[in-house]
Amino acid sequence: MPTFGSFALLLALVLCAYNLIAGAIALRQMAVGRGAQYAPERLAETARRAGIASFIAVTAAAFALVWCSFTNDFSVAYILHHSNRALPGAYKFSALWSGQEGSLLLWAWLLAAYGFVLRARHKVDVKLTAYASTILAGIQVFFVLLLNFAAPPFALVQGAVPTDGFGLNPLLQYPEMVIHPPMLYLGYVGFSVPFAFALGALMMRYPGEKWIHITRRWTMVTWLFLTCGIFLGAHWAYSVLGWGGYWGWDPVENASLMPWLTGTAFLHSVMMQEKRGMMKTWNVWLIFTTFLLTLLGTDLTRSGLVSSVHAFAQSSIGDWFHAFMFLVLAVCLYTYFRQRDHLQVEHHLESLVSRESSFLFNNLVLLAACFTILWGTLFPIISEYVQGSKVTVGAPFYNRVALPIGLFLLFLTGIGPVLAWRSTSLKSIRRNFILPTIVGLVTAIVLMILGIHPWQDQGTFYSLVAFSLAAMVTTAIFSEFLRGARVIQRHTGKNIVASMLQLTHRNTRRYGGYIVHLGVVIILIGIAGAAFNQSKEQEMGYHDTMTLGPYRLVCQSYTQDSNANYDSEYALLDVYKGNQFIGRMAPERRFYHASEQTSTMVANHSTLERDLYVVYEGRSQETDKPIIKVFINPLVAWIWIGVMVIVFGTLVALTPNLEAAMVARRGGHSPGVIAADSKASHAAGGGQG
Amino acid sequence: MTLAACAALLIGIFAYVFYVPRAAEEQHQKTRLEFLRERKDVVYENLRDLNFEYSAGKYLEEEYLAQRALLENEAAEMLAEMETLESMKDTDSTIA
Amino acid sequence: MSLLRRTFDVELARIWGQIALACLLLIVTVGAGDTSARFNDLGHRMMCTCGCNQILLECNHVGCTVSTQMRGELQASLDRGDNNNLVLQGFVQKYGPTVLAAPLQSGFDLVAWITPGIIFVLATLATALLARRWKHSAVAPEAMAEGPHMDDLRERVRKETEI
Repeated sequence: MPTFGSFALLLALVLCAYNLIAGAIALRQMAVGRGAQYAPERLAETARRAGIASFIAVTAAAFALVWCSFTNDFSVAYILHHSNRALPGAYKFSALWSGQEGSLLLWAWLLAAYGFVLRARHKVDVKLTAYASTILAGIQVFFVLLLNFAAPPFALVQGAVPTDGFGLNPLLQYPEMVIHPPMLYLGYVGFSVPFAFALGALMMRYPGEKWIHITRRWTMVTWLFLTCGIFLGAHWAYSVLGWGGYWGWDPVENASLMPWLTGTAFLHSVMMQEKRGMMKTWNVWLIFTTFLLTLLGTDLTRSGLVSSVHAFAQSSIGDWFHAFMFLVLAVCLYTYFRQRDHLQVEHHLESLVSRESSFLFNNLVLLAACFTILWGTLFPIISEYVQGSKVTVGAPFYNRVALPIGLFLLFLTGIGPVLAWRSTSLKSIRRNFILPTIVGLVTAIVLMILGIHPWQDQGTFYSLVAFSLAAMVTTAIFSEFLRGARVIQRHTGKNIVASMLQLTHRNTRRYGGYIVHLGVVIILIGIAGAAFNQSKEQEMGYHDTMTLGPYRLVCQSYTQDSNANYDSEYALLDVYKGNQFIGRMAPERRFYHASEQTSTMVANHSTLERDLYVVYEGRSQETDKPIIKVFINPLVAWIWIGVMVIVFGTLVALTPNLEAAMVARRGGHSPGVIAADSKASHAAGGGQG
Repeated sequence: MTLAACAALLIGIFAYVFYVPRAAEEQHQKTRLEFLRERKDVVYENLRDLNFEYSAGKYLEEEYLAQRALLENEAAEMLAEMETLESMKDTDSTIA
Repeated sequence: MSLLRRTFDVELARIWGQIALACLLLIVTVGAGDTSARFNDLGHRMMCTCGCNQILLECNHVGCTVSTQMRGELQASLDRGDNNNLVLQGFVQKYGPTVLAAPLQSGFDLVAWITPGIIFVLATLATALLARRWKHSAVAPEAMAEGPHMDDLRERVRKETEI
């Protein structure tokens, strides 16, 4: 099987290289109009087919690696180092992305899968897709080159083959780790597609803005995957690392947040280009930057440039990434300078008080947040270069610098929907904004009366501001739904709920977007709860009691257990709230035989109000009693609920509008015409965005 | 076995890549008419958006009327150009 | 009447001054709490040096002797009555500058703190200037094309885009 895997990877390299070279030649011939005798269309078709076939070849390689993992083929060095016989099946599957080589293979496979869909749907716009496909093939060549020469997943063990593997890192033996990395990679890799379309459209001087319409769903889906990946990672950290938090501002976490921020900026500002032909240069560079940041994120994770808890994926392939990033940047710069006259704007800003200017400032703030995170992540390297010694840039830095930016962004989330396109009169702003402002202020006053005093400390101040802004933004969003629903109600006579549903269905992108904003507000409420975290650590023998906040924990027993994969120690704690029995919790610590490493299994009792988060820290050397650390983390559940709301909102935004869906059901149009109709038929729900 | 699997993969893929039917999908340059149709859709969408936002109370009447006149004019000019191009196309096909 | 008014104003200013001073004192004294609060505060401003890349008080590795020892040292320096600066300096001398969870607010490290702010201000100014320039350079709308056919077309557009 390793031989088959290696062969499939080599074949994938040949196919990607063919797609790149043949595709480029065909496009060149067609561009200069010298192709009649060479039939460049047929050459381009073989290039497209090679791209599709590369997906089959990379799939074969990925299948071979998973096969090796399931059949315990420890002659493959990667399997030896990332699996063992007693490893449960799901984790044997996840061994595919638990190390350097495997995760690069997953990356290449996802890229090939995206490429497969793009190339299969080429009839949307044959010429533009041919450009995008060729650019995507260039990116594929890089990753498949890495897999063939720098990080081969099928490298064989030298000498005698051990009878069992060294096991999977215990931190990765958690259900979320089976989906967190693929989800995050789907997000990272997915940005290659809008990047390829944007670069392709610029190269071929694509007339109009239809390419944005074609890539809209790609970008939204990618953004959704990245969002889910980031929050699954946060949930994993919360559940496994056992320090009571979900976000540690680790360089790798930061690396995933940066493209998310620029991608979010792109999703907003691209609407200005689509609707009004504005910000063309800006948008092109935003998507270029987003793609480069996904590469930088991967580079940071793997090159060991900055120290990180994700050190398990480190190796020496940083140089390859640096070279590729420079190459991509060079291609982007060259194409931009050659074709920049194509990016002439069609309209200018008409008023500083308009939806356009709110997008402008939203972009500014998102990019400022991105820069701050990039700066904090790279400052240790800069410091080492300037002062000769590294410094740490950790949570205290980001909490102080990034929080105000986040709050400002929340504020803009509330203002944006109130503003109209082109220009909004101050009178109408006053009329539409007065209720949200009052609700925000009343919330602040009520919270202060309830005991949240902003002068107590910085955390309390920020949380009060966050809660008040959240109330303001939520009111603004609901008013927006209500205002729109009333218009529908006037025209159709339906009740307000039915009108709201119809409103959403008529313009899914705009109202789905508002639902996403609501999700962001809910997440920020959850994050603001961190200002009121409490914790306590105590040795707990039989029937010992610990009290924290409203909870009382009584240790019923503590014991050990063992299975083929790991030994475990755990305590059984009865939890009471007042005199009411809440349940039994069993925080656990595991020692994995194969890797000889330990990991924590946190016990968490989660409610909307707060999480009771219990960690088994180990046994006291003096008394042999378990040391239990208990955290009370208010409102954390809101973060995960917020993510679900974001997922729902994005799915709504991805749903075709009512009229478009009806046109599609009626049939009688070619796909291209339906796509055009979907834009033309947004009747009473207003336009997109 | 491995050799057979490799050979099957290789042959299958090469057959798929290079056995291209004669009529490959043509890459054509977007015409001015197609471009105008797209632009018209966008301006229509902006107009509907404007009308809706006005009904929802986001514009004062004079702002709304001015914006609407601008957009309607833009759309009307596009329609006029589209009509001209379409009539030229019809004439061409009649002559042919 | 005006004397009374002036006296009232002076009195009002004095009261406001006192309120401001009280607020300032409140802000300045925030954080200077008891030893356990200082332990918690300082413990969150330092990193565990075992290589786990976690905040000192959040490191929970089994048998991590480094964080246990460091917490002991922190408690000892607080018991000695060292002020916050002295405690942090002591740790930097022993473990190197990477022990601090965030750069210092002095020397070259200050650059880390001020750069994001400067960039944000510059970017805001640039955006505002750009927006102003765009607004001023916005071309005047073209004159409406005249003629009955154009009026018909405009009418058609209106009908097709009614809500």
